[in-house]
Amino acid sequence: MIDQTQFRNIDWILIGLLLLNTLVGIAVIYSSAHHLPGNYHLKQLLWMVVSLIALFVFLYLDYNILVTYSLYFYILCLAILALILVFGRLIAGTKSWIRLEFFQIQPSEITKIALILLLAKIFADFKERTIPRREGVLSAILVIVPVILIALQPDLGTALSLLPILLGAFILAGMNKRTLILLLVVAVVIGAVGYGFFLKDYQRERITTLVFPEEDPLGSGYHILQSKIAVGSGGLLGKGYLKGSQSQLRFLPARHTDFIFAVVGEELGFLGVVLICILFFLLLARIFQSVNLSRDRAGIYIIFMVAVMISCQFFVNVFMTIGFFPIAGIPLPLISYGGSSLLTNYLAVSLVLNVRMRRFVNV
Amino acid sequence: MKNNKIYEDLSLIQMRTQITFGIVIALFVVLLLSFWKVQILDYQKFWNKSEANRIRQMAIPPQRGLITDRNGKILVKNIASFKASFIRENCKDYDAAYERVAQLLDLDSKVVRERVDKYKSAPLFQPIVVKEDLSHDEVARIEARKHELPELIIQLEPKRNYPYGTFASHVFGYLQEISPAEMEMEQYKDRRLGDLVGKTGVEKQYEQILVGTEGRSLQIVDSMGREIEEISRTDAVRGQDVMLALDFELQTKAEEILENREGAVIVMKPDTGEILAMASFPNFNPNKFINRFSPEEWIDLMNSPEFPLENRAIRGLYSPGSIFKPTMALAGLDLNVVNEHTAFYCRGGLIVYGQPRACWRGEGHGPVNVTSAIEHSCNIYFYELGKRIRIEDISRYARMMGFGYKTHVDIPGEKVGLVPDPEWKLRVRHEPWYPGETISVAIGQGPLLVTPLQVTVHTALIANRGKGVTPSLLKADSGIPQSPSVENGDEEKPQMSIPVSAFEKVIRGMWRAVNGRGTARAAKVNQFDVCGKTGSAQVISSEAAKILAQQKREIETHSWFTGFAPRDNPEIVVTVIVEYGGGGGATAAPSARELFDLYRKKHD
Repeated sequence: MIDQTQFRNIDWILIGLLLLNTLVGIAVIYSSAHHLPGNYHLKQLLWMVVSLIALFVFLYLDYNILVTYSLYFYILCLAILALILVFGRLIAGTKSWIRLEFFQIQPSEITKIALILLLAKIFADFKERTIPRREGVLSAILVIVPVILIALQPDLGTALSLLPILLGAFILAGMNKRTLILLLVVAVVIGAVGYGFFLKDYQRERITTLVFPEEDPLGSGYHILQSKIAVGSGGLLGKGYLKGSQSQLRFLPARHTDFIFAVVGEELGFLGVVLICILFFLLLARIFQSVNLSRDRAGIYIIFMVAVMISCQFFVNVFMTIGFFPIAGIPLPLISYGGSSLLTNYLAVSLVLNVRMRRFVNV
Repeated sequence: MKNNKIYEDLSLIQMRTQITFGIVIALFVVLLLSFWKVQILDYQKFWNKSEANRIRQMAIPPQRGLITDRNGKILVKNIASFKASFIRENCKDYDAAYERVAQLLDLDSKVVRERVDKYKSAPLFQPIVVKEDLSHDEVARIEARKHELPELIIQLEPKRNYPYGTFASHVFGYLQEISPAEMEMEQYKDRRLGDLVGKTGVEKQYEQILVGTEGRSLQIVDSMGREIEEISRTDAVRGQDVMLALDFELQTKAEEILENREGAVIVMKPDTGEILAMASFPNFNPNKFINRFSPEEWIDLMNSPEFPLENRAIRGLYSPGSIFKPTMALAGLDLNVVNEHTAFYCRGGLIVYGQPRACWRGEGHGPVNVTSAIEHSCNIYFYELGKRIRIEDISRYARMMGFGYKTHVDIPGEKVGLVPDPEWKLRVRHEPWYPGETISVAIGQGPLLVTPLQVTVHTALIANRGKGVTPSLLKADSGIPQSPSVENGDEEKPQMSIPVSAFEKVIRGMWRAVNGRGTARAAKVNQFDVCGKTGSAQVISSEAAKILAQQKREIETHSWFTGFAPRDNPEIVVTVIVEYGGGGGATAAPSARELFDLYRKKHD
C-alpha cells in the first residue's frame, strides 16, 4: 500500500517539528511534576513512542479509503461513547476513560479523527461557493451528537473541542452572511440558556471569575489568579528551569496538564513563550501549507480541519493561562501531559502526511 | 474512479485556507502582545504578588498514643521537644549555609550536608531536621538570628519518651526514622520521609493504632517560606492509647531478678494468655534511639556480643533440658507405654545402645514411677521411655505441646525453635537418625531448641489440662483487636489427644517437685500450691562435657524453671531462664519463687 515515491514524499520536516514540540513538552512536564510520584515525563515519553508508531502505521492506509469507510468509524466511536456513559469506569469524576492493559485511553479524543474523516467525505464532492442548508444542518448534527455524549460524561472541555472541526469545515465550505449571523445568534442563545440551565456550578463560576478574578482569590478565581501571577512573575527571562516558585510551590493547579503553559511562562519567561510560539507556529504553518500539495478536495478538507482543530486548542489553552478565556479543561496540544490527546494529535498529523505523500498518485 | 481529480479547480478553498492562516498569524501576534503586556509591562506587579502571597500546606504531626500497664499506669508517653530544620529553598549559598548552621548548632558541617543530601528527593520547602532535642539556650540562639538564617527554622514536636528507661524495653521496642524500604510498603503509604515509626515490639505491632492522624495547616508564607498567617487548620488527632497486660510491679520484679544476668523471665495468665511480665536481659534504653541521628549507639548495641537488642523471651533458642520431661511423660502415658504404676529402677547409670548414660544423682533414685521421675527429674526413667517411644512420636507430642511453632504472641520477630525428627536430619544434615539421639532428646538434649515463651505456653497448656492459649501483650478487655502475627504453617499442628487424667499425673509430679523433696523445692510458696519443673540444659555436647569433667573444669549450664500456681484453677505461669546460671533448682527456681510470692501478696 505504500511505495518508494510515497515514502520519499513523507514530510520529514513536519514529523521533526512534531517531535520537537513533544520533547519540549516533556521537559516542561518534568519541571512541573518531578516532585509528584508517577514519573509523568517518562510516561509521556512512552506515549510519544506509541503515538509515533501509530502515526506510521496509520500512513499505510490511503486516506481515500479511510474517508470511504469513515461512517463506520464514526458510528463505532458513537457506540463506544454511549457504552461508556452506561458502563464506564468513573475516573476523576468523569466516565471518559477506557482502561487498557497499561494505558487509559479517552475515546472522546479519538472521536475527533472519525469526525474529520466523515466531514471530509461529506464535503469532498461539494463545489458551490457557499454551503447549502442540507449539508450545513447534516454536518452540524453529526458534530453535535458526540458533543452531547461527551458533555454528559461530563467532560465539557473535550466536548467543546470538537466544535472547531465543524467551524473549519464551514469556513472552507463558505458561509454567506445569513448563515454567519445565524450561527452567532445560535451560539449566543445556547451560551445564555446553557449558562442558566445546563452549566454546573463550577463551570458557571469559571465564567464569572474570568470577569472578576480578584473577587474570591482562594475560591474559583484562585486558579486564574495563580496562573496569571506565575506567568507575570516570569518576566523576560523567567525564574529558571525547575525554579518557578509558583509552579514548584504547587500554587498552580493542573501544572502538568491544563496549566502547563503557565509553567513555561514562569520558568522560561517571555523568551520561552516566544520560543514555544515559534515552534508551534512553524508546525501550524507547515500543516497549513500542505493544503497546496493536496490533489483533491477531501485532502484539503482533512488538512484544514486538522489545522483549525490544533490551532483552536492551542489558542484557547494559552489565552486561558493569562485569563483571557475561561478555564475550559483543554490541554495544550503536544505539550500537556496526556496520552489520548497526544495520540489524537499524532493521528491527525498522520492524516496530513497521508494526504501530502499521496499527492502524485492518481488512480 | 474519479480520474479527473487532478484537474479539479481547488483555488477557492485554497484561498480560504490562506485567509484562515492569516487569521492564525494575527492571533499569534495578539498572543505575543498579551504575554508582552503580562510578562514585561506588568512584570513588577506580578513579581510582587508572587513574592508576597504564597499559600502553603504544612503537616501537623500527631502525638502517638500512650502505652500503659494493666492498671493504667503510663509506661510510654510523649514530651515536647524542639528541633531545628533546614529549608533548602531559602538558601542561596549552600556551603556557607552549612557552615553557619553547623557553627550555630555545634555540629560538623559535614553532618548537615549529609543530612540535606539524604533528603534531596523530598518535596520542595519540606523542612529537613538537622538537630533534635534543642536546649533552651540553642532555641534562643537560633531565634535571635532568625533573619540572618532564613534557611533554619525551629519546630516543636511531640517526642516519644520512656520514663522508666530500660523498663520492659524489649516489649515496647523503639522508634526510628522510617527507612526507604518501609516507605514502599502499603501500611506506611501515608508516611513521609523523616517520620519516626516503631521498629520492634509493641511500637511496631500496634503502629497503626498508636500513630494517630496528621493535621494540616494552610498558611500564607513569604518568599522565604516563613509563615505570615494561618488561613485554616485541621488539628492532628492523637493516636489511640494501648493498654498492655503487663503488671508494673511484676515486671519490675522480673527485671530485678535478672539484673546483670543474661536470660529471660515471663509471667503469664494461663486462662487468657495475658503476659503480666516479660523481661529479657541485657536490655537497652529506647530513649536513646528516638533520634534521627548518631545511630552509633544503636550500631554498637547491634554488634554487641551479648545481643542486648534481642528479646530473649521470644527469640532466644535454648535446649529445654529437663523442662522437656513432662512432655515425655505425657507421651508415654498417652501412648500406653507406661502407666502410673510402671516403675524403672535407677542405679545412677545405664548402658543404652552400647553407650553409658548417667543419672544426675550418682547413687541412683531406686525404683521410680512417672510421678517420682518428674519430682526428682530422674534421667534413667526417661532413658527407658526413650528406648520405648519412636522419635516420630516424641516429635509429634512436642509439637502438640506447642514446640516448633510460633506462639503468635503480638510482637514481631518470634522464633519457632526446632523439633527434630529423622526427616529433618536427612534434609538438613544429610545423615540418618541414630537411636542414640532419641535417648538424648528424651531428656531434652540433642538438637531440640525452644524459646522461653514456648515453654511458658507449654506450661499453661499443662496447667489448663490440655487447653492451649495464645499469649498476648494486650490487656484482654482493652478494646483494641489483638493483631497476632498470623502466618501459615500451623495447619499440620497435631490435635491435642492427651486425656486430663494424664495431665493430673504429671501435675502431681510437678507439685511434689516443689512441695515435696524434689528438685524445685526452692520455688515453694506457703499456701500457694506451686507446681513446677526445673531444668539444667547443657550448653555443650555431652562429649565435650566429658572432656571438661576429666580436666576437672566446671561445666556451666543454662538454668531453667517453669511452673504454675495454684495447682487447681491456676492463675499464673512463671518461666525463668538464666544463661550459664548452673542448676535450675539453685538459680531459676528461687527467682521464680519471688514472682509467685509477689503475685500471691498482691492478690490476697
